[in-house]
Parts: sequence; structure tokens; C-alpha cells
Amino acid sequence: MDELTSTFVNESRDQLTAMEDGLLRLEQNPGDTDNLNAIFRAAHTIKGGSGVVESTFIEAFTHRVENVLDKLRNGEIPVSGELSTVMLECCDHIGALLAVLAAGLPQPAAELQARGDALLARLSEQFLDGRQAAGGAPGAELPVEHGSDLEASGGVVVHTDAWHISIRFGTGVLRNGMDPLSFLQYLSSLGEIIAITTLADGMPAAAEMDPECCYLGFEIRFQTRASKAQIEQVFEFVRDDCALRILPPHSKISEYIELINALPEDPMRLGEILIRSGALTTAELEEGLALQTGTHTVTADGAAARPLPIGDILVDQKVVHRELVDAAASRQTVIAEKKAVEARMVRVHADKLDQLIDLVGEMVIAGAGANLLAQRSGQSDLMESTSILLRLVEDIRDSALQLRMVQIGETFNRFNRVIRDSSRELGKSIDLVITGAETELDKSVVEKLGDPLMHLVRNAIDHGIEGAALRAERGKPENGTVQLNAYHDSGSVVIEVSDDGGGLPRDKIRNKAIDKGLLDASATPSDQEITNLIFEAGFSTADQVTNISGRGVGMDVVRRNIQSLRGSIEVASIEGEGSTFTIRLPLTLAIIDGFLTGVGKASYVVPLDSVVECIELADVPGERNYLNLRGEVLPFVRLRELFDIGGEAPARQNVVIVQYAGHKAGLVVDALLGEFQTVIKPLGALFKHLRGIGGSTILGTGDVALIVDVAALVERASARESQRLSQRLPAAIA
Amino acid sequence: MSTPTGSRLTLCDDMTIYQAQAQKEQLLAALAATPHLELELSGVGEMDTAGLQLLLLLKRESVQQGRQVTISGHSPRVQQILDFCDLVGVFGDPMVIPAKA
Amino acid sequence: MAKTIFLVDDSATILLSVSSILGKAGYTVEKAASAEEALQKFSAGVKVDLLITDLNMPGMNGIELIKKVRSLGPYRFLPILFLTTESQQSRKLEAKAAGASGWIVKPATADDLLNTIKLVIR
Repeated sequence: MDELTSTFVNESRDQLTAMEDGLLRLEQNPGDTDNLNAIFRAAHTIKGGSGVVESTFIEAFTHRVENVLDKLRNGEIPVSGELSTVMLECCDHIGALLAVLAAGLPQPAAELQARGDALLARLSEQFLDGRQAAGGAPGAELPVEHGSDLEASGGVVVHTDAWHISIRFGTGVLRNGMDPLSFLQYLSSLGEIIAITTLADGMPAAAEMDPECCYLGFEIRFQTRASKAQIEQVFEFVRDDCALRILPPHSKISEYIELINALPEDPMRLGEILIRSGALTTAELEEGLALQTGTHTVTADGAAARPLPIGDILVDQKVVHRELVDAAASRQTVIAEKKAVEARMVRVHADKLDQLIDLVGEMVIAGAGANLLAQRSGQSDLMESTSILLRLVEDIRDSALQLRMVQIGETFNRFNRVIRDSSRELGKSIDLVITGAETELDKSVVEKLGDPLMHLVRNAIDHGIEGAALRAERGKPENGTVQLNAYHDSGSVVIEVSDDGGGLPRDKIRNKAIDKGLLDASATPSDQEITNLIFEAGFSTADQVTNISGRGVGMDVVRRNIQSLRGSIEVASIEGEGSTFTIRLPLTLAIIDGFLTGVGKASYVVPLDSVVECIELADVPGERNYLNLRGEVLPFVRLRELFDIGGEAPARQNVVIVQYAGHKAGLVVDALLGEFQTVIKPLGALFKHLRGIGGSTILGTGDVALIVDVAALVERASARESQRLSQRLPAAIA
Repeated sequence: MSTPTGSRLTLCDDMTIYQAQAQKEQLLAALAATPHLELELSGVGEMDTAGLQLLLLLKRESVQQGRQVTISGHSPRVQQILDFCDLVGVFGDPMVIPAKA
Repeated sequence: MAKTIFLVDDSATILLSVSSILGKAGYTVEKAASAEEALQKFSAGVKVDLLITDLNMPGMNGIELIKKVRSLGPYRFLPILFLTTESQQSRKLEAKAAGASGWIVKPATADDLLNTIKLVIR
């Protein structure tokens, strides 16, 4: 896809989103003209762009959609649910057409084409036909005559074969930034100016003459192969406020006479000009003037049936004709100017940003290396300058990462449509409440979040929110509520999808888990643990399968998706009251502030955001893996053990206390090496199944350090902890 | 910018609508001060309709007041415009390159 | 010296396509995605030989922009073209009254565009 097409596709997708949002708002607030205009503008921008990229199938379809929206905007058709529904389907169709364009196909497949045709047929039937005639102003049917108006006014034709152009510029043209001379110079590019006379007769006396007004006129003999329309086009921008007369070659003498009469200057002077420029011969002029006198006589006698053909009347008629043409043209295409949603943005290709982030990553590593050398050198000047450098690098890193941050609101807003459509389908009334829309997270994360969120929302609609009857019985408001919320929490982004529906059926889940062998019948897990069993593979409790949340794709897929983003998901639910799914995600996938630790000769980086504090490990007897942190039981993991590192532990070991999703755990390491900016390098496929390691990074010395996966380690530590508790071991406190 | 020296006025600025207001005063004042005004325009860069119009105004005023205006130097742009509009004869000043027939 | 054309349109597609045509034709192109941004550049004294603006933009529209530019001393006689679709006479009149020099009907071929520019650029 070339750059222009891809810009168009991206822009149009944004416009579609805006259009959809507008249409959804329209039902609530049909009288909001700003909204109506915004919807129209979105469709119009897509249509305009499709013309630019020459995608006729998008242009043709969107054009009709725009027609309907224009009528809507002009109040010719009312806002209705029916209309919104069709329009939303049109949005979908445009989206599908954009996909066709993006895929580089020359035209949509037959099936898609048929769907588009069906939609267009519906549009015409319901909103366009039968109203068009009523909307059209009278006059559209008036025929446009071509040059027949002068037939009877004297058949003598002049001899020259050049055009004659007579123009008097309006006084305001200079102030509007136009230069009449530049029009004339442009004219000369269409042919050859045989003769030109500059007339300043209209210029007032020096005292009144405003030098910023134009008083000039020109009489031009012009030889060209261009058409009259092309000549007229040269003066199109000034036509409304100038006097322009164009006589084609071999015009009738009477037309010249008429011209002379119509012009403000003295007829004799004009006659001279015409003769001098070669437009007329002296004989022709005299003949014409005689003819004119004759006509005058007839008219004065009142005997002539036809109105005075000489003078302004015909010219006036011509003016009328011109207006007719304009009016007809504008009626045929009643389309307003393009508009678009606010976009004070610079579009940058995501690859370029990624490249920048990569480079910043390299810079961070190189900076750390320089800093290390400076420290070793012991030169205070050098140390000072590298520390300034390091701080700048840090700022650059933050700004670079910030570039990739996008607000989650747009992703959330997509669900307005989902809620609307699926609640209609199921006959439920559901409101969507969005909070924290301004919360930002990495674009690459947002992109991968769409599917899991969609699944959760559809689940909430389908299985969560009860039918109206049951809601009434439970004393809940008629309208169900699905809420999407986002906020930042210690280096993570938290996204919640909650509903005020029936909640998760604890016992049913428990029984099913036992059936499936996911849970031992004798175990006594907490409610929280039971509900979270729904994330296990192959788990689904819905009695009915609807086409909304469907069958098969279960919560385990959702969890896998989230985990692949280094995130986690859990659910809290109260039966009869509702459920809340909580997704935790890292802010970014690229660079983190790390805390460097050492175990033996190896280095491990702990994401700084998750570090709560560091303490020295007091003597802990034997194999015990918990300690007393100010009266709190803190499970810990010995990294030396976990990663099977050889060598003896030093006499003094340290514990890095980390926190994840409300749980704390300790990581036992040999040495604390301090804060360290970490560029995350993903692990190769070979290490995909490695638990407890989230990635690797390169230290300033060139050594590789592993980044520990805090979520996995905390889970591991607390799992062991709860195992211990469930085994009813005495809760010994060291 | 101008340097009136006796009956000679040298314009070195552009002669466009942006300067028109000021140049109108300047030209009329210069004309009022002498029976024969010599306009030196070889330093004029841009010229547009507004500039041309001022020259026409000056010419007309001079005729009405019984004075004389001649253009002694033409910049390429001034010359091109006078030529294009077939006004060489109106000003009747000698040009370096003869006007086209 | 290459002439500079200042292009104001909120559609990225239009900005990209028009500026690439202008660039190939040897013009220097300044761009702004909104009237507000354009005015900022004007107040910073951007060198411009011709302004081409869209009329319907969110925030300040093209008509207001044209009026504003006409009130800025150094730009008060700047040639201004506006982009319009089809022949909406009323909008044209409104824009002309605001001080526009002319218009370009979208979609325009590269030739239409360049010819119209040649017509009005100083």
C-alpha cells in the first residue's frame, strides 16, 4: 500500500469511528446540529479522500451515504432508529471496503458488492427517492439555450477570426489578493493576444482614487483554439464582480455594437478601440451603428413585437443563463464542503517510532556503559558530565515512549456500538459507562487489547446482565450497566470490565471444575480462587450458547492474550450482584526502570515499579521460605535456588520485596546493585516456556542480565504460601 | 525608498498593492513639485496591477495639470508589463528594447 | 526563489496528496492541519506566496481564517484559494465575501490544481 492510500485508510478508519460515535449519540439527541454536522463531515472526508486515492467503489458508496446524511442535516428526513441502524450498517460496509482497498484488491468481492448494493437500495428506497423532487427548486427543468438568443438581431458577421474579450474588473479584486494582470498573463498562455487596450477611464480623480481598488478594464483581441468555457474559466474567480463579455470569432456586428453600448466608456472611443485592434472594420462599425438606429426606431414606434435586442437586455439574458447553469449544477450535486474531526496530529508510521525506541534503547545501554567507565575512572569532571548525559537520555527515553502512548478512550468507545447492537439483539436494555478514558498506554498494547476486551464485554452482555424479568425480580434497575474503567497503578495500567448482572455462579463453577478434573473434590478453595477457575482451558458454564459470546473461545484464550502482553487478569464476583474483570498490563513493552541485583556471577533486573523495599535477610532456618516483615508473613523465593545457580551464598543476603496485584513477596539475592534503566530484549523462542524470566537486557559492561517476571514469581511464592496454609500447617511466624 | 533629486524620482521598492497607498502620495507629491517629472524605475522589482494603475493615474494627472511625466528607466518587470498592456505608446518613453509590434 | 504555498486542511489525505503535487511542481509547501495552527504560523511570520485552505474544519473554519489573514498587515493582500467540493454557490460567495481570491474544486486533477495556482500566485 502506498503512503497516500495508507494515510487515507487510517484517516478514514478514524472518521468511521467518529461517524459511528455520532450516530450513536444521534438517537439520544436528534436535535444536536453540531453532531449532525460532524457525522456528515466524517462521511464527507472519507468520500473526498476516496476520490483522491481514486477508489471508485468507496467513493460511489460513500457518496450515497453522504446524500442521505445531507438530507438529514438539512432536516429533509427525520432522525429515526431505523435510519441509525442502516447508517451504522453503512459504516460497517465502508469499513469492509476500506479493508478491500488496504488489501490492494481492485474491487470488492461479489458478496460484499451485493451487500453494498442492497444497502444502497435500502437507502434509496427509504430515504432518497420520492423526496428528491420535493427538494429540488423550480427552474431545474428550464432548458439552457446555446447561443440562439442572437439569431434575429442581424445576420451580418464580422470578418476577423479572433475572439474579442472585454473586461472591466471589479474594484475589490486587488483587496482579495488577486492581480488582474496575472489573469491576463494566464490568458495569454491559452493563445495569443493580438491586441490589448488598457482602459483606466473608470479611475476617479486623484483625490478619490483608492490605490488599493482596481479601476482598470481591458479590450482584448485573442486568437486561440480554446473553447469559450476555457476562456471564461480564466476569469471564473472575478466573474461575479467584474463585467466580462466574450465574443467568439465571427460574431455578428450587432453583437459588437451591443458591446459598445453596454460598456461604460464613450461609444465613439470604444468604436475606435475596436477598429484599431482589428476587431471591426470601419465599414462594419458604421453598418452596425446604422442597424442599431433602425432597431431603435422600430422599438420607439412600439411596432416591434420583440423586445429591444440591442443593449443590456440580451446581456442580462446571458447573465440569467449563466446563473441557471450554475444553479442546475449546484442542485445536481448538493454537497457541502469537507469537514473532519479535530486532528491536530502528525501521523507517523509506527515502524519509525519503533525504530526510534530501538535507538533510544541502544543509547540507554551505551550511556550506562559510559557512566560505568566514568565511575571507574574516578574523574569527577567526567562523572559529572556523564551523569548529566544520563539524565538527558532518561528524559529522551521518557519522551520517546510517550510518543507511543495513546488514550484508551478510543478503544472503549468502540463498545458503544457493540452494546447497542447486541443489547437490541437480545432484547436487553444496557447502558455503557466509560471512565478513565484518558488513561494512556502503549499503542502496541492497546492494539492487542481489543479482542480480549470484546470477549469480556460480550460475555457481560450475554451471560452477565440478566433479562428484564429477572432484574425486576432482583430489584435491580431495568437498564443493566456495563462499565469500562481504566487507571494507572504503580507502573501498570489497570483495566476493569464490570457489570451489574448475575455474577458468576460459584457452585456451578466448582462442580464443573471438579467434573473436568481441574479441582480436587476435597479441596476447599476460596471464592476468589473458584471464580478464577473460569480462566482455565476449556471452561464454559453458559447454559445457552448465543451468537454473541459464542461457543468455544473461552476465558483461557483471554488470559493467554493478556499474558502475552506481560499482563494478568482476574475476576471478582458476587452472585446476584455482578462481576468485575480486572486486567493489569505493563505501561510499556519496551523500556523499564529496573533494579539491578546480583546472584553469584549472574545479574537480574527487577522492574523498579514493583519494588517496595529492600531488606537484609536475617537468619532464616533451613528450607523455610517465608519471613516476618513487621508482623506480616512474607513468602519469598531464593533466586539462587530457583535458577539453580552454583556457588555458595554469601554470608549476607538481601531480600527485594516486590508487589504485584496486591500480593507481596520477597526475592532473595546476593547483592543489590542499584537502579538501572533497562531496555527489554525479548527472549528467543527457545526460552518461551521459561517461567520467572520476562526478558533480557544488556548491561553497560556488555554483559547480559535477565529480567525477572515479577508476576510469575509473586504468584509462585504466594501459591506455595497458600498451599502451606491449606495444608493446615501452623502459621508459624519467624 | 526614494531619492527625489530635483525633478527626478527614483523608486527602488516593489510597486505592488502593498506599497500602493504610500506610493500614490509620493508620486502625486513629486508631480506637484515639478513641471517635468522624471521617473526612474529601473530598481523596481515586483509590479502588479496596483502599480500599473498608479502609473496610469500619474500620467492622467500630469496631462490634466499640464505637466510632463517620463519614465527614464525601466526594470525588466516594468517593461514587461507596459509591453504586455500595450501602454508603451501611452507613456511615450524611450525603452531599451523596442516594444513589439 | 521557489514560491511557497501554505496548505491548510484537516484531512491528512488531502494534505499529503496536494503537497506531493505541489512539491513535484517545484513549490515549497507549508502545511497546517487547522486554522489555529495556520494562524500561529502566520503570526510567526511564515513566508507565503499563496494560501490554500479548506473551508470546513473543526474549530476555526476556513472562512474565519480567510478573514483573519486579510486583517494581518503583511498578508492582507495574499492570494487565497479555498478548497471546495462541487459548485456550492452560497459557500463560494461567502468565502469570496470573506476575502478569498478563488477556489479549487475537489477532487481536482494535478493540472487543474497547478493551473489555478498559476492563475493567482504572484
